[in-house]
Amino acid sequence: MRFIVIGSGRVGLRTARVLREEGHDVTIVERDADRADRASADGFSVVEGDGSHEDVLAKAAVDRADAVGALTGDLNTNFAACMIAKHHGCRTVMRIDEDYREEIYQKYADEVDEIIYPERLGAIGAKNALLGGNIRAIADIAEHLQVLLFTITERSPMRGYTLSEVELPANARLLAFGKRGESMGIPLPDNSLELGDRVAVLADFGVLDDVRQLLVGDDAGETLASAASAGGDA
Amino acid sequence: MVVAYVMVKAASGDADRIRGAIRELDGVVEAHIVAGDMDFVVKVDVDEPADVKRVAADGIQDIAGVEDTRTYIAMG
Repeated sequence: MRFIVIGSGRVGLRTARVLREEGHDVTIVERDADRADRASADGFSVVEGDGSHEDVLAKAAVDRADAVGALTGDLNTNFAACMIAKHHGCRTVMRIDEDYREEIYQKYADEVDEIIYPERLGAIGAKNALLGGNIRAIADIAEHLQVLLFTITERSPMRGYTLSEVELPANARLLAFGKRGESMGIPLPDNSLELGDRVAVLADFGVLDDVRQLLVGDDAGETLASAASAGGDA
Repeated sequence: MVVAYVMVKAASGDADRIRGAIRELDGVVEAHIVAGDMDFVVKVDVDEPADVKRVAADGIQDIAGVEDTRTYIAMG
């Protein structure tokens, strides 16, 4: 897909790199000459200019882009860029600077499809890292729905079984599976669960405890409680 | 008559309630939620310059969830 990332600071450049690693075509728009040079040296196609100006986004071929990430630290620039990009039929993602604004933009900004508050994501990551253990909260999908990553331990009741033998509660779905030390992938019925393998599960809060008992065993209650609240209060 | 524009920064996502409370203040003729680093722009139309302070400092600043205001008095 074709993406435009506006702003090549700590959030934008990292996003651009991840997209490029996954094989996408990324153009960076950057106002600051030094930063633009750095992004060019990094091999990106760069348009130097203010991403809130239509002629600058036109140079970045906004009319052919699938999505635009307005990821600068300047809210006005980000919002103006989303307005222009939406006008050109792009999906729009806007970075905000304070968490309370998420609610306001979700409600009022039709030009913005998704809102990113990097500090919130960072806080969830930091909390997970501090907790350690074998359960990580990955994302809040809805108020009572969360994606969690479980690591199979010595005590996991399902250790040695295949995925087809794992009977999750009704309000839970297996999303992804990864062998120890390998990347996550689509779960296959004959994948076997061994020590250190990871399983991503979408689960309703009401069945988190059952899922935890099945995949990790009995001694992780506290970790689960902490992990489950990570998204909400981060 | 004195016209002033007050830029309001919130600290809460409850924009509807805050805008409603601003619109109820005497002297406020318009209040809009805006994109950017301020969250509302409020137009005030009052008799005396001192009334601008009454609306901005006492009225708007007293609303729960309002963090900061900046007032610009219109000159022309």
